[in-house]
Amino acid sequence: MTGDHASLPHAPTRPGSPSADAPAIEAIDLVRIYHTHVGVIRRRPLDVEAVRGVTFDVRPGELFGLLGPNGAGKTTTIKMLITLLLPTSGSARVMGFDVVRETTEVRRRIGYVFGGDRGLYDRVSGLDNLRYFAELYGVDPRQRDRRIAALLELVGLTGREKEKVEGYSRGMRQRLHIARGLLHDPEVIFMDEPSIGLDPIGARELRQTVRSLVDAGKTVLLTTHYMFEADALCDRIAVINDGHIVASGTGSDLKSAVLNRTIVEIETFGVAPEAIDRLRRDPEVIAVNTEERDQSQILLIQSERGPEITQRLLGSLGDTRVGKVVAREPTLEDAYVHLIASTSSTDGADRAAALG
Amino acid sequence: MSAGRTLRLIGYVTWFNVRMLLVSEFFVLLTFISPLIFATLAFFLFRLGHGGSGQTLLYAALGSGMMGVWSTTLFGCGGAIAWQRWEGTLELLVNAPTRYDFILAGQTFGAVIFGFYGIVTTIVWGMVLFGMPLQATFPLVLPLSLFAAVISLGALGMLIATLFVLYRHANALGNLLEYPIWLVAGLLVPLTRLPDWIQPVSWVLAPTWGMEAIRGATLGDAPPWLAIGMCVVLAGAYYVLARVVLVYVLDKARRDASLALR
Repeated sequence: MTGDHASLPHAPTRPGSPSADAPAIEAIDLVRIYHTHVGVIRRRPLDVEAVRGVTFDVRPGELFGLLGPNGAGKTTTIKMLITLLLPTSGSARVMGFDVVRETTEVRRRIGYVFGGDRGLYDRVSGLDNLRYFAELYGVDPRQRDRRIAALLELVGLTGREKEKVEGYSRGMRQRLHIARGLLHDPEVIFMDEPSIGLDPIGARELRQTVRSLVDAGKTVLLTTHYMFEADALCDRIAVINDGHIVASGTGSDLKSAVLNRTIVEIETFGVAPEAIDRLRRDPEVIAVNTEERDQSQILLIQSERGPEITQRLLGSLGDTRVGKVVAREPTLEDAYVHLIASTSSTDGADRAAALG
Repeated sequence: MSAGRTLRLIGYVTWFNVRMLLVSEFFVLLTFISPLIFATLAFFLFRLGHGGSGQTLLYAALGSGMMGVWSTTLFGCGGAIAWQRWEGTLELLVNAPTRYDFILAGQTFGAVIFGFYGIVTTIVWGMVLFGMPLQATFPLVLPLSLFAAVISLGALGMLIATLFVLYRHANALGNLLEYPIWLVAGLLVPLTRLPDWIQPVSWVLAPTWGMEAIRGATLGDAPPWLAIGMCVVLAGAYYVLARVVLVYVLDKARRDASLALR
């Protein structure tokens, strides 16, 4: 993808936009409960609280990351903000417009990009997709083709636009999604896990494009469960877990929660659950997370003691076969795992452990 | 949105939907092949029963073609929603800053216009294989009849499509409505042969009057003004009803989070 967003023709400033110091996105105590049921013959109602009082704001021109594991409530939060879902309670505004009552005003000002294979018409070309959505998004017909050409250039699909989408790779589809989301030159762009399933090069190109959007003055709300992505891109990050915002701030702010810690990484082969329990019971150990590899398990042990605790930890592992041992400073990923593990229910803790 | 932009939008969505249907083997089969099968059966039956006069064969051809139009309307409108739900584009359409009823109107008209190709293929089939004469008593009224039939069926399709937006398993309803409407709308069997209590049902159905308008212009003794007028009235009524239902449906979809469900 190229990053030259300056070549994009911009729509004139729309009336009714908020002042520069007002937040571009404002969520106040958002709650969303899904009413569903369990059972086939005896259907019993079940309420699932996906979002439980989320509050945050995003300043104009800011790249804000919503970081959390699967099922944390990221997509539900985004869908409320883009008017696709009604909040059960709470309120939200985008560019000063209420997401419940002023849906058309909100929709004119937002772009929505999501990750994965869906959301495109596979059996026609990328160009046909863009032209169709340009009509739906009210793009001026006189500017349509110029705008599409600029977006194709931006996302690096120039020359491939006449091919059927069903023949596109995952990365190309994702880039087409981004072009679609930018057709009407939205002021605020919501990106829901846009890099999911992309190869490392595709993900890196996507990050460059996202960055260029912010450089061009767009406000971006990005959800991801990749820590490095949030750290590399976002001005501020909110960590969401079990429907709550459990921490927010810059990447450095989040890391500061674990700055005084040491992370000891121990590679083990066939470590027994009892050995991990012994580590967890150690009063000097704050958290233990495991990461499964092909033949081994990596234990990530957080402690406020320095590297000198390493021998004691190895002793707790008993006769477990041990490979590489490293003591290092914490990263944002460690901060994230700490936040998720310390704010999760049992299920959440397991999930955090699985995240490593 | 200006009237010009609205018409452009509906026209573009209609054209796009016709293209999407053209690349679907299912719809090509439904629109081009199945009416030919119906027509072939009808030609043989009508020959047996009525001696196979040219008028009878044309009556059968138009009826068979309209059966195909109804099937395409039903599956093209409802099926398109179900299929867009599957592709994940339904949320994007609903979330566009454009009024969704305009998008839905374009989609349903696309399906209906696509379906009308079936009538053409049926007539050509009858002419080539069964020696059916091509005649129109009121050739100048015929385009008007066709237009009236298209808008009334499109508006009815739009009303049906609103249910598909709300319920992901509305296909079952679509299947249920296909054959009964063929009968109740008098597409092959004249309405006068049906029980009296069915007649009021047929009066509120667009295919009844669309068929009446087309047959009146081709086979009738007088221009089918009543049928054309009824098509227009019904189209208006369906559209108003569809808009009212759509407001409720979209609100409920936002409450129930049903748009993304497959």
